[in-house]
Amino acid sequence: MFVHRVERLRVIVGALLCASMISACGGGGSVSSTPQNTKTTSGATGTIGHVFVIMLENKSYSETFGANSAAPYLAQTLASQGALLQNYYGTGHVSLDNYISFVSGQSPTVQTDNDCTTGFDTIAQTGTAPMNQIQGTGCIYPAGVLTLADQMTAANLTWKGYMGDMGNDPARESATCGHPAVGTIDATQTAEAPTAAIPGGDAYATRHDPFMYFHSIIDSASCKTNVVNLAQHLGSDLASLATTANLTFITPNLCDDGHDSPCAIDGQPGGLSRINTFLQTWVPAITNSPAYKKDGLLIITFDESDYSTVAASGGSETIAWSGATCCGEQEGPNLGAFPQTQTISAGTATYSLVKQSFGGDLVGAVVLSKFIKPGTVSTTPYNHYSALASIENIFGLSHLGYAAAPGLVTFGSDVFTNE
Amino acid sequence: MIDRLVRWAAVAGTLLLVALGLSSIAHRARAEPAAATPPRDDRAVAALGRRLFFDPSLSASGRESCASCHSPAYAYGPPNGRAVQLGGPDGRRAGTRAAPTLRYTLDRTPIWFHEQAVSLAERLTENEPPAGGFTWDGRFDRLRDQAAFPLFNPDEMANASLQAVVAKLRAAPYAADFRALFGDAVLDEPTAALARALYAIERFELTDSSFHPYTSKYDAYLDGAASLTTQELRGKQLFDDPRGGACMICHLDGRGANGAHPIFTDFQFEALGVPRNPEIPANRNAHYFDLGLCGPLRTDQAAVATFCGLFKTPTLRNVATRHAFFHNGRFHTLRDALRFYVQRDNDPQKWYPVARDGSVARFDDLPARYRANVDTTDRPLGAKRGERPIWNEHDISDVIAYLATLTDGYSREAHDGGVSPLTNRRADAVADRRAGGKILHAFTPIASPRATVDRL
Repeated sequence: MFVHRVERLRVIVGALLCASMISACGGGGSVSSTPQNTKTTSGATGTIGHVFVIMLENKSYSETFGANSAAPYLAQTLASQGALLQNYYGTGHVSLDNYISFVSGQSPTVQTDNDCTTGFDTIAQTGTAPMNQIQGTGCIYPAGVLTLADQMTAANLTWKGYMGDMGNDPARESATCGHPAVGTIDATQTAEAPTAAIPGGDAYATRHDPFMYFHSIIDSASCKTNVVNLAQHLGSDLASLATTANLTFITPNLCDDGHDSPCAIDGQPGGLSRINTFLQTWVPAITNSPAYKKDGLLIITFDESDYSTVAASGGSETIAWSGATCCGEQEGPNLGAFPQTQTISAGTATYSLVKQSFGGDLVGAVVLSKFIKPGTVSTTPYNHYSALASIENIFGLSHLGYAAAPGLVTFGSDVFTNE
Repeated sequence: MIDRLVRWAAVAGTLLLVALGLSSIAHRARAEPAAATPPRDDRAVAALGRRLFFDPSLSASGRESCASCHSPAYAYGPPNGRAVQLGGPDGRRAGTRAAPTLRYTLDRTPIWFHEQAVSLAERLTENEPPAGGFTWDGRFDRLRDQAAFPLFNPDEMANASLQAVVAKLRAAPYAADFRALFGDAVLDEPTAALARALYAIERFELTDSSFHPYTSKYDAYLDGAASLTTQELRGKQLFDDPRGGACMICHLDGRGANGAHPIFTDFQFEALGVPRNPEIPANRNAHYFDLGLCGPLRTDQAAVATFCGLFKTPTLRNVATRHAFFHNGRFHTLRDALRFYVQRDNDPQKWYPVARDGSVARFDDLPARYRANVDTTDRPLGAKRGERPIWNEHDISDVIAYLATLTDGYSREAHDGGVSPLTNRRADAVADRRAGGKILHAFTPIASPRATVDRL
């Protein structure tokens, strides 16, 4: 039996079975490391003026960067041109909480931890935990919760989000600042295959567009100029220094980011091979842009890893994410104890989805810049919070949320090897 | 008979697609609004398509056109209360499924697709049902492919061969127009002639404003040009209540992001467990089951057991004008259809056969092995046996009142007789705005559409 949207809320909330409390950090195999750079700004980062981020979907490090990678352009070509961060971690499962942590330093609510599949509602805040972590339930952060984008604006720096397919079907979402009406069900949870009226289909997913989950952004008039359709704008905006934002955040559509396979929009295979194709198109467009050539930094990473284990027992299967963390990641105030298990019936089969811990597991990242020697490899543990703090360092901004966590390591001399 | 039909449909369908150069792979890959042959004059092609759509001479009986089952006077739905329509060479053969309305959905129907995340874990949590495609089982991605089926279906227009259809095209009063549009020799080339005829029908269905007039009271209400009564508003609340009817989950009734008026379907597939309908002759065979997405008419998903029993969610626009509900036309009043939703699980003996031992054969129109596919969790389904229904008769009356606001013809801009007069440019402009500006371009009609309707 297939599960419709409202029912998902009951399934997700009702089936979360908190079994036992485990260690607060690194439950499924955390990486210990000696911090090399704690909230420092290296000489090289001081000269970076344009940061580009490409966020991809749901791949484990071994799958992406292993010997048989289906994305050799990323795993080999690009990695050899810049730095491969071998111990870069997502911060949670499933997708949305990772995007949010990357741009705001906020840890998940129960809803963002499960992609806000059942409604696009403002968070009902019940309190504020240390490091400005919002306590409550819901999806959209109150206006007082700031993001990297807000920081950029306040510092007279520019930012833009480029979203694959956003607004292809204008009845589904706007082509600028596209999100469901607050308080409604998110129709973008499902990709839209081509129709006679919308022959290109629409595989935009709000849950992969972090900016839509902050009232500080979506309530602002500038949202419509800052969060735009990728295909319509990125190429032309990269054409000159004047039109390239200081921060460019790119989310491909559900096909190009590797989430789906086959792809709704064209029936072709998705996954890593489609990621490879997307990067082959857009990375050269970025690295050949005047802004990147002048002082650019490109970060390519994944929101979270895939699950790590499958075990069959009787008529049921258990699928588990390790939920591994690094960098002293904290769980935040909203999720409760782990492991957490969600039980799903599909026909006559029963599946148990287990999050052993709250982390997002090892995904890896590739970072390109003229300040990075080709072939650089860093084994320093990083995660989305450290990436946020690193970008904030680059632009001279304060650290938001868990980006300000004590001991958090930011990109330093291990990454910027060509100073 | 059914087995023979299914075999015939599979063979004929394959032959036809091959003949038209439309491989199943290609037509599954993407919707192609572009023509098999580029249109020389889209308006003229659509005008020809209109004549084809209303032409009963294209059937073996000479009495059945597309409009016989899809009458513009009934929102391009069936003009009578039969569970399934009659057709065939003598007009006496019964089909196996209720005729759907063609209004509002044709240009918005996605190609059939089952979205799946690469990650098994996310596939399970997202767990989206398939969606899209034309007909109750979504087996056609393009209207031109769908239009071929009734032409050759022995229960419908029942043409014996491609040559038989083209012979009728040659004899039709619009043959000269056909040649003028597609070339002097087109009717001498049966494969090409049929492909172009089907394409013309598609252009008519996609572009004629009579397929998306947006003239209901609900449209006027959304525009602030009408008020819903207390009863209609209460019905809407019941319809929208996520803890009650939750009907809007599948039958979306909110405005689109661009203000587009809703078309009341998400095109997803769902297994409702509608009771077996003894009115359908095919059901006299106890071994015959219409499994929707997994067969028997559709063959490419037959191996997917979890698809068995699933049918595509229809639009609810103009639902109050219908007299046959669900894929098998099991119910003949909207009230009964709504009662079934809210009483199916708490009062199953009311809907399904009861054995001597008192056991109830729930979901009796599916083989036992597929009954687990039936939705027993999404509201308003899933009530416990004996539990009070979430809607009483008064509530159902209110929901019916709300659904009646979806009937076209309320607005002053209403299209005459359901077929676009197109002298009414204001009506087209209103419809275009209400559709969110995405209606495929309308065209100027051929002379006297009223005469065309009168001829039926």
